[in-house]
Parts: sequence; structure tokens; C-alpha cells
Amino acid sequence: MAGGSDRMRRVLAACAAAPPLVALAINVAILIPGAAGGTPPFWRGGPLTLSEAAALHDQGELVRLIAAGSDPNARYALRPGVLAARSLTPLEAAVGARRAEVVDLLMLHGATMDANNWTRLHCLAIQTGASDMVETVDRYRPNAAGASCEGVATPF
Amino acid sequence: MISAVPAPRLFAYASAAILAASLAYGLLHMPLQFHDALDEMMAAQRSPSLRASFTSTFGETSYFRLLRITETKFFFDVSGGHYFASYKAFHIAVVAAAFVLLTGYLRVATGIDLAAALFALAVFTGLHTLVPIVKEAYPVNHYLQIMVFSLAAAHVARSRGGWWIDAAAIVMYIAGSLLLESGVLIWVVIAASRLLGRRGVSDRAIALMTLLLAGYLFVRFVWLLPNLRAMGNASGYFFERLEVAQIRERFGPGLTRFNVYNVLASIASVLFSEPRAGVFLFAKAWSMGDVPPRMWISIASSAITTALIGVAVWRRWVNRTMDDGSTDLALFMAVLCANAVASYAYTKDDIISVAGAFYAVAAFWAVRDLLSRPHRVVASVVLGAALLIAGSGWSIRTVGVNYLLRTQAFAIRNDWAWVPDEMQRHGTWPTEPSTQRFVIGLRDSALAMPVVNPWFVPRWMDRVFDVDYF
Repeated sequence: MAGGSDRMRRVLAACAAAPPLVALAINVAILIPGAAGGTPPFWRGGPLTLSEAAALHDQGELVRLIAAGSDPNARYALRPGVLAARSLTPLEAAVGARRAEVVDLLMLHGATMDANNWTRLHCLAIQTGASDMVETVDRYRPNAAGASCEGVATPF
Repeated sequence: MISAVPAPRLFAYASAAILAASLAYGLLHMPLQFHDALDEMMAAQRSPSLRASFTSTFGETSYFRLLRITETKFFFDVSGGHYFASYKAFHIAVVAAAFVLLTGYLRVATGIDLAAALFALAVFTGLHTLVPIVKEAYPVNHYLQIMVFSLAAAHVARSRGGWWIDAAAIVMYIAGSLLLESGVLIWVVIAASRLLGRRGVSDRAIALMTLLLAGYLFVRFVWLLPNLRAMGNASGYFFERLEVAQIRERFGPGLTRFNVYNVLASIASVLFSEPRAGVFLFAKAWSMGDVPPRMWISIASSAITTALIGVAVWRRWVNRTMDDGSTDLALFMAVLCANAVASYAYTKDDIISVAGAFYAVAAFWAVRDLLSRPHRVVASVVLGAALLIAGSGWSIRTVGVNYLLRTQAFAIRNDWAWVPDEMQRHGTWPTEPSTQRFVIGLRDSALAMPVVNPWFVPRWMDRVFDVDYF
């Protein structure tokens, strides 16, 4: 009886200890690549283009890329799955992803809206259906820009 | 004399070291915080001396956290311009101290102890009260230091005593109370331990600490009363989060049912992981028809563990067992109540972090008790399933802390993207060129740090691992 009871206790101890041991093993799996100079799980990503950073709310990366020389008005490639387009300008990406504050950040860091691209962005903002996005784009409306979306091609 | 240390204890320390190192890895990949930290660092830069920092806020705010400002200044001065290294090294050292103190407190000697200690370490790491005090730093986390002081206080209270133990207890209490209001919990740990029969700290030292406590309460609640009245913070109330103005409008001044709610909500939060910061998130999610797995995981792991603690308390009460376990369980209840009362003004997960640490100690005794006595086959199956479910839940929560640290790193780096424009807009941009250069330097360091965009993280993690709710 005592042997059976001991065995049962050992099983219970295993039930208590096994899940934390698995958690420890996962933490070791995080630490070993980190200590070896690699990138562990949870911390793996990849380089972003300026338009991807704009679409993915990566404000820190966006400012870093511009400071490193990326043109905030140029067109950049997008990975599949970020937005339904292969390439966009950072402003188009921000508007398409409904990131109103990223539009503000881009404007602070050298992005420009002239009469042509403002109308395009304004129509894209309307297309997203997000009122804050439309309000944000409208704040940067140049004097000469027309607000009609008739015949205006948007990226999506 | 490594050979004198039991192997299970060494294994427990090694496990604690792995968990602490994992948190340290996350901290080293997270920029220095912007919100609630930059102002402190700018003040440290402007301050001419530690003494000036110590006296800078006395009587001017509702807070009485003189050492907090001084500490920020100290690590600023010793950094030699390497601010990240200085503040992070201290933060990591305090995290490591918390794990060492907790593991040492459990006094692991046998295999059964080790199994219970592994469970307790998962509880300690995975509980939602630890995460905020690890991932946030202003630029050092004072709640974390209070937790470390409280665990150290439990150690000294259990020691054989001596003049240096008394001195350590008094110094820890003074330091803790000048760091943060929660420092009073250090006194609670020592006084409650004495009432429970632990004589490590002498009665004379406890009397002196009680006098110091009275003095502290006088300064805080009488001298600084005019400032105190203006104090407030957003907090949860059942299913909503209320801003300071809303709280005042709805409940009026003085002690109200809102304060009673905060105390009860804080107790429930430690025991059941709900509500969080005062808001019943599970019920809210349930009413909206989508309860993510992370909520089930939190509630199930906490509810089962609390039930096991309840059984341990009940059995010891019925059997009149008086040993270290009974004392620690009673100490947990005392700390839980005191910590909840300290949350009377508003509820936050970090405020109740001391109770969270002692909850892990209580979990250790609950599991140890359960593993130490024989059970019938059916009971064993039920208990084994309960331990597996709860242990798995805590383990998922433990692993999820890495995910939360990564998320926090992304959020902090984004905050820095708005410097200096946002500060200029709010009128907080410094006028001194040296401070401007200092802030820009911090921003550039933060932006240069590679941080993973959440887009690269599988979507299921959002639903399984805990998230930052507020």
C-alpha cells in the first residue's frame, strides 16, 4: 500500500512540475539563440520598407528609416499580406491601413501633399470608411486641391 | 560548500535563474521608457546633486517619494552617459533579487519541495501582478523594489535575529517608505510575522518601525493633506474604466463605496486574476460573445490555485497545524488584505504586486501539502488533473511574459518617434540646449534599437498570451 501511495505521490508531483518544466524549456529556447548572438522566438521579425512601417503602425521604424535617408514621398514595395497592393507611397500605406496618426507623423517628417496626391489620398480615405482618416487627410488639403473623387484612381 | 546544498534546491535556483534571465533578455531589448520616465531623467539631469534631488519635491506634490527621485539621480550620475546600461542593469538586478529571494524563501530540500517550488515559480512569473512591474520603469520600477524589500523582510523576520537583522529591517522600511507609499507593506510583513510567532526582528526594532510608520502617516495624511486631496488616477469600476473627473462626479469626495470596491477588487484580482485594474474583463468579454483563450487560461489557473490554497488553509485550521507553512499562509492573507487596503484610492495590477509574490509562496505550500499526503485513487486523478490544468495555465502565462515584453518594446519605441514634436506641442520641450541634446540622444538610442513589429508574430499569440489591457 505504501509503495502504491508513493507512486501516486510521484505522479502528482510530476503533474505539478511537468508544465513549469515545459515553460522553463521554452525559456531556455529563447535564451540560447539570444546568448549565441541570434534572434530567439518572440523576437524574430524582418526589415521593413518605409511604406510597410507606415501600414504596420511602426512609428519608430518609420522615423528611423527617414533619418537614415529614406524618401518619405517615394514608392516602396509591400510584402504580401500587409495591404492589398504591391507598392505604395508611405502616405498611401498609412491611409490604406487607417493609421491617422502615422499620416501626421509622416507629414512631420517631410512627406508632402500636393494638389494631385491630396485628392488621391482624400478619395482613398473616403474609401476606407474611417471618418478620422478623412478628417486627418482633409487637414492637409492644399488650396488648389479638388475634393471630387470622380475619375480618381485609388491604389485598392 | 556546494555539496551541502540539496540538489532540489540547486535545481530550483537554476530554474529561477532561467526565468529571471529570460525577463532580463526582454528588458535588454526594450528601449528606456518615454512616458513617466523622461521627465524623471530630465529632472535628474538638471539637478545639481543627490541632496538637491532628495529635497526637490518635498511638500510640493501629493507624493512623498523622496528616495525615488534620488535613486533616479544616482543612476543618472553613475551612468557616465550610458543611461540605458545604468538603468537597465539596476532593473535586471532587482528582478534577479526578486527571484533569488522568493526561491530562497521556499527552502527547497526534497523532490516534493522542488515540484511545489517549480509550480510556485510559474505562479510568481505568470501572475499579472509581476508583468507590469517588470515591463515598466520610470526609469526604475519602484513597485518591484517594494516587492523585493517585502520578500527580504519576510526572510529577516524568519531569521535567528541579531542587531544587524534589526538594522536591515529598519533600513529596508525607511528606504521602502521613502520610495513609494506601498513601502508600508514592509512594516506589515514584519509586524504580521511577529504576531505569527517569528522573532527574527526584535520587538524593540518593530516598536521603532511603528514609530517611523506613525511619523510617515502624519506627514503623508496630515502635512501633505492639501496636496493629497488633489490626488487621483483613472480606475476600473465593474465593467468600465473611469477617469478621475468621472470618479469624483459619480462618488463624491472622501471615502466612498468606490474605495470599498477598490479594496475588494484588488483581493479578487490576486486570487482569481479578475477584475484587472478594477474592470471585470472576463464578464465583459462574455457579454460580447468572445472570451479569448487567454482569459480562460488566467481564470482557470488562478481559480484552481486559489482553491488549492483554500484547501491547505482549511486543513491546517482544522488540524491546528502550526508550522512554517501555516505561518506563511497566514502571512499571505495579512499581506493580501493590507495590500488591498493600500489600493483604496485606485486599483492597478502593479500596486498589488507584493500580494502577488506572497500568493506564489501560498501556492507553494498548497501544492506541497497536496503532494505530501496520501490520496485515494479517484482523488489522485482529480488532483492530478487540477495540477496539470493549473500548471499548464501558469506555464502559458509565464511564457507569455516574453510576448508582453516584446509588445512593450514596440510600444515604447513608437512613443519615442514623436519626440520632440509632441513635447513641443504640449509645451514640455526643454529650453536648455544641454537637456535638448540629452533627450534627442535618448530618442536616437531608442529608435536605433531593433524591435520586432507585431505583424511578424503569429495571430494566435494575441489570443493565447496575456495582453496589456490598459
